[in-house]
Amino acid sequence: MSPTPLEDQVHDALHRTAAPLHRAPLTVTDVRTRARRIRRRRAAAAGAAVAAVLAVAVPVGVGMVNPAPRSDVPPATQPPAPAVTGTVRIDPRSAEVVDSTPVPLVDVDGPSLITSDGTLTLPEVFDTLTPYRDGWVGVTMDEGRGTLEFLTADLEVEDRGGPTGGLVVSPDGTRVAWSEYTGSRWEVAMAEVGGGVEWTYLRFPPGPEDQRVEPVGFVSEVEVVVRQNDGTGRVTDFVADGDTPVELPGLMQAEAASPATGAVAGVTRSTVEGSCSAVVDGRAGNGRVMWDTCDYTLTSFSPDGRHLVGLVASGGEYGSPTLAVLDAATGEPVVDFEVAAGRRQIVGIDDRIAWADDGTLVVRVMHGEDYYVVQLGLDGTVQRVGIASAGASGLSVAEVR
Amino acid sequence: MVSMTLIEGGPEKQMGSQNQRSDRTAHGTADGTADSRADKDADFSAYMSARQAALYRTAYLLAGDHAGAEDLLQNAFAKLYLSWDRVRDREALDGYVRRIMVNENNSLWRRAWKRREHSTDVLPETGTVDTYDDGMGGALWSFVQTLPPKQRSVIVLRYYEQLSEAEIADVLGVSVGTVKSQASRALAGLRARAPRSLHPHESGDDAR
Repeated sequence: MSPTPLEDQVHDALHRTAAPLHRAPLTVTDVRTRARRIRRRRAAAAGAAVAAVLAVAVPVGVGMVNPAPRSDVPPATQPPAPAVTGTVRIDPRSAEVVDSTPVPLVDVDGPSLITSDGTLTLPEVFDTLTPYRDGWVGVTMDEGRGTLEFLTADLEVEDRGGPTGGLVVSPDGTRVAWSEYTGSRWEVAMAEVGGGVEWTYLRFPPGPEDQRVEPVGFVSEVEVVVRQNDGTGRVTDFVADGDTPVELPGLMQAEAASPATGAVAGVTRSTVEGSCSAVVDGRAGNGRVMWDTCDYTLTSFSPDGRHLVGLVASGGEYGSPTLAVLDAATGEPVVDFEVAAGRRQIVGIDDRIAWADDGTLVVRVMHGEDYYVVQLGLDGTVQRVGIASAGASGLSVAEVR
Repeated sequence: MVSMTLIEGGPEKQMGSQNQRSDRTAHGTADGTADSRADKDADFSAYMSARQAALYRTAYLLAGDHAGAEDLLQNAFAKLYLSWDRVRDREALDGYVRRIMVNENNSLWRRAWKRREHSTDVLPETGTVDTYDDGMGGALWSFVQTLPPKQRSVIVLRYYEQLSEAEIADVLGVSVGTVKSQASRALAGLRARAPRSLHPHESGDDAR
C-alpha cells in the first residue's frame, strides 16, 4: 500500500483526533476487578461445559439449603387463602416452637449459616448469602459499604468482587443478581445459580462509587429491577433486561418486585409524617400505578405474586409493630398481624422478610431486649423458630428474594 | 511483529528473581507468594503507567467514544494481567494489548450490532477539538467511525499504528490478502462518504 493523498488524509485525521488525548483513566484496582470477573466467567464457562457433559448440574450449595421451588402450582389453580378475621397477635414467647428453619438464617454472633440441613460456620459475617454454582455468593458489610464475595462449598472465601449494592435471589432460587462497582462505573450481573455463564452485565454510565446501584428484585425471568442513588439522595429506578437499563417511572424508590406478575412496589412520597407507596406495572415501562396506599410501606411479594407485605408506614427505628399481608392486585388486607407488647416494651418487625412458600413468611421480631425468628402463616398461624443464636444479636434472614 | 511469547509454567518458573529467592529464604513460601503477587502488581502498575495514555488513544480510535475506549482498554489490561506471569517477551506487550482490543471491539460490535444499527442516524462522538484541524480531518474521522469494525480496525492499525499489512494480518488473525481487501474497501467507502470538499478524486487517488 503506497500512500495516496486520501491515505495521507486518513493518517492525519487519525493522528489529529488521537494526539490531544492524554487520558489514563484506569487504576490497577480497576484492572484487577475486571480480571477477577474474566476469571469467574472462564470458570463458569468451564463448569457449564462439564455440567453439559455430565447432563447433571446439582450445585452442592443448593442441595444443602434445598430451596424448594416456591411456586410449582400455577396461581390460577391455587386455593384462595383462608379468611382470617381480626388481628393475629404475634407473641414469640408463647408461640408454638418449631425446631428447624424453612429459610436460611444468619447468626452474626457465630458467625454461622443455619439451614434446614444444619449449621455451617462462616469465615466472617455476611449480610446476604445464597448458594451459587458449587459454592456460595454473599455480601459482607463494613460501615454501610458492601463487598461481594464468592465462597467454596466449604464456605472458604474463593474470590472477592468489588463494592456491591446488594444481591437478590429469584423466588424459586434459580437465579441471582448483584451489582458491582468496577472502579469506574456500576454494573449489574444476572446469573443462573445452577450453571451456565453469567449471562448479563448491565453497564451504567461511568460515575463515582457513591452513585450506588442496588438490585431490588426480579420482575421476570430475565429482568431485574434496580435503583440508583445519584449521590444526592435522589433515587431512580430501572428495569434491566440484559441490554440497557430502562428507567421505570411511577415510584420514588422501588422496594420489591415480583417475577410472577411483573409488579413493582415502592415508595411514591416520603415526608416527616410518613410515606405513601404504590404498586406499578414493571413490565409495561410506563409506570402505570395499579394501586397506592399511605397506610403501609410495601416490602416483599409472595413467590406467586398474589400477596404483598405491608408494614406500618411510620414504623420507627425498631421496625413496624404490625404487619399486613395484602392482596397484591388490589391492596386490600388479607391478614393483619400485630406484635404483642407489654407496657413500655419496645417491639418491632424487621423489614427484611422471607417467604418460605406462598402461604408462609418468616420475619425477625424484636420483643423487648430479645430477638426472635417467627413464621407467620396466611391462615393466621404463628410459630417461633426455636434455634438459639450464639449471642445477643439474634438470627436474621440470609437472603433477599 | 506484534506477537507475544508465552511460556508454560507458574510464576516461580519464569520470574525466579533474586528478590524471590531471598524472600523464600527469609519468610517462607507463603510470604514468598505474597511478595510474588506484590512484584507482579508493581511490574504491571509500572507498565500501565507508562503505556496507558498511548494505548488509550488506540482504544479511542477503535471504539469511537470514551466509554467504549475505557472498557476496551480495561478488558485488554485485565487479560494481560491474568497472563502477566507467562509473558516472556515484555517488548511485545503493546502488541498483545492491541490485539485484544481489536478483536474485542470487533466482537463487541457484532454482539451489539442491533443496538448500533438503530443509532446510525446519530453522528458518532466527535471526541476532541483540534485547533489545527481545517475541518477535513474532523469530517474524515466521522466517516472512519461509520466503517464496519474490521475495516475500521485495518484503517486504525495501518494509518495510526502504522503497522505493515503482515503485522495487521497477524493481529486480526486473517490473511494478508484479507487485510488488503479490507483496506481497499475501507478507502473506497471513505471516498464514497467523503464530502466533495475533500476532493479525493482530484487529489491523485485515481491515478494510482
